Amino acid sequence: MSQIWKYVRVTPSGGRVRGVPARSSTTSISLPGTPDHLSSQSTLILRFVMSIMEHNGGSVVAMAGKNCVAIACDLRLGAGAQTIATNFEKIFPVTDRMYLGLAGLASDVVTLREKFRYLTNMFLIKESRPLEPSTFAHLVSSTLYERRFGPYFCEPVLAGLERTPSGSYKPYIVGTDLIGCLNFAKDFIVTGTASDKLFGVAEGLWEPDLEPEDLFETISQTLMNAVDRDAYSGWGAVVHVITPDKVITRTLKGRMD
Amino acid sequence: MECSFALTGKDYVLVAADTTSARSIIKMKIDEDKIKTLSPHLLMAYSGEPGDTVQFAEYIERNIRLYHIRNLYPLRPQSAAAWIRRSLAESLRSRHPYSVNLLVGGFDTADQSPHLYWIDYLGTMATVPYAAHGYGSYFASSLLDRYHNPDGTLEEGLATLRRAIDETSKRLIVAPGKYMVKVVDKDGIREIEL
Amino acid sequence: MPNMSAIVHPQQRHFNPYAENGGTILAIAGADFTVIAGDTRQSEGYSIQTRYAPKVFRLTDRAVLAVNGFAADGNMFVKKVKQRLEWYKHAHAKDMPLRAIARLIQTMLYAQRFFPYYVYNILGGIEEDGSGAVYSFDPVGSYEREACRAAGAAQSLVQPFLDNQIYFKNQTAAPGRSHPSHLPLPDVLSIVVDSFTSATERHIEVGDGLEIYIVLAKGRSLQGVEGLHGLRELSTQEDGERVFVLQRDLKKD
Repeated sequence: MSQIWKYVRVTPSGGRVRGVPARSSTTSISLPGTPDHLSSQSTLILRFVMSIMEHNGGSVVAMAGKNCVAIACDLRLGAGAQTIATNFEKIFPVTDRMYLGLAGLASDVVTLREKFRYLTNMFLIKESRPLEPSTFAHLVSSTLYERRFGPYFCEPVLAGLERTPSGSYKPYIVGTDLIGCLNFAKDFIVTGTASDKLFGVAEGLWEPDLEPEDLFETISQTLMNAVDRDAYSGWGAVVHVITPDKVITRTLKGRMD
Repeated sequence: MECSFALTGKDYVLVAADTTSARSIIKMKIDEDKIKTLSPHLLMAYSGEPGDTVQFAEYIERNIRLYHIRNLYPLRPQSAAAWIRRSLAESLRSRHPYSVNLLVGGFDTADQSPHLYWIDYLGTMATVPYAAHGYGSYFASSLLDRYHNPDGTLEEGLATLRRAIDETSKRLIVAPGKYMVKVVDKDGIREIEL
Repeated sequence: MPNMSAIVHPQQRHFNPYAENGGTILAIAGADFTVIAGDTRQSEGYSIQTRYAPKVFRLTDRAVLAVNGFAADGNMFVKKVKQRLEWYKHAHAKDMPLRAIARLIQTMLYAQRFFPYYVYNILGGIEEDGSGAVYSFDPVGSYEREACRAAGAAQSLVQPFLDNQIYFKNQTAAPGRSHPSHLPLPDVLSIVVDSFTSATERHIEVGDGLEIYIVLAKGRSLQGVEGLHGLRELSTQEDGERVFVLQRDLKKD
């Protein structure tokens, strides 16, 4: 994943030269094109700052059930290892039957939330028809791909109920990477700093055709146990279960460490 | 090094920032006011890259003022914070991003509630009961976590703030010597001697 | 005249003595048994070197060792542990107790503190008091006795699942009831199999085959699992602790 590396070259006098590009990740290398007398006396120290995607922490998971979908996120907002806030929700309503989860750089989480709110409002004004999850998924994808070479550092997860021609609803969950590559899954989508843990637990707990209350328990257990093994996620969670006639939203208490 | 703290209480927000202005190892000034009054009920403590800070704070100050003049009423704290955050987020992806960290504290006269926002140079915004920027945050956040009372009186809030500042002065090698403290409540903004 | 350009531009040679060979291991302790399991895929980068390279080894009738990380180091380490256990047997006319093996492994790992065996060890078996035990190690010998532990490529996938299913983390017992501190053998076996099928599904370095070792305490019957397909006994005596192995297929993609 995209990482910011800060390169600081320490010269014998102690003066520092910033932004020197390096091609290797070893701790001490000679610089390309640097005069010998300089590279032999100076050491290049590569200081790991941290990955942009992990800077603020946070995780999101979505699951499909029988005639329902669920989406859940943790509540932590950090700046590296320091926790700034424990009330930072990463899931936002788009329509009555569709929620969007955004994990990644918190600044872009808010920017994208505002952008998608604007875009969905414009869609409703111009088209005067309901916005379906499959339509919105492609709006998300193209919005992210627009910034292909300077991306928003967010990986969205969408959970909703899609209206079928017969008038019933079918579960629809989709995730994308930070440049908008859509991932249609029939079981679950995970993203964020605890994504590997979420994959493991979800793969073990999820089963097809769960009823809303069982889906709530499954997604809650998945998220809580995954974030408890992740230092950058946690401090409670919010779970939304979307059914054709209502959305059940619950806030969960979690470990505070 | 620069430190700023803020906390909410019952119907008020306290904002404190150090008053030193330094270049390298030299103290250039020890009575610099780093808390801008944006509107009658809105405060903003700023810190970060010298130059960027004042430039950005004045840009924000004049635009919030312009809004007030045009509309005859000021921007509410929620809206002002959202706009300030947006300015930083847009700046982040420009050719010369502002390196400015902010604490925005305000009193919403519409529903009589205090609001505090933690904003960093990336455009990250958090709605918080208490906040800190700079090295002081490593000492203050645990104290604020332990002693903060969202329904506390102004005296209680000041005592908590004093704890945070005292601990920072005691343990931080490069601690600033003096702080300016401002409070915003239903009566507006005033400076307080700690 | 020597070629000056070769002198002016010094070249660096590099040899990396370590590799990472993927795979995952896992052990769970019961009240009077222990289950130690590992997948059998061995890979380097995106290449599969073999679909059957055992990572779990019977040391004695009451101790089984799982090694994961750099396969060459792992095999060498197991070889040396087995050698030390044989010497012990010749000297004392009995098998080394499990907690002593754990301490031996710490000493052997720490002896290589500045050129470590690049392996994560999990030791499982039966303690002298007849209880099931799991000891987990880091590459330089820090160790701890636990009820369950996963290690290797899919540790991050499996461990939170075990927290939930073995330690009942984030679960509240029904009023007036409490969570069991140890699960019965059939339940443990199905959790092990589920953990590996899940890890196989979502991790490219896990798959091909699964080897599950079961160590039973002295006098404990195979009750509940005697009918399992392909169950093979490895123990040398019938009246002591007994070791069994089970093999299962995992997806090969």
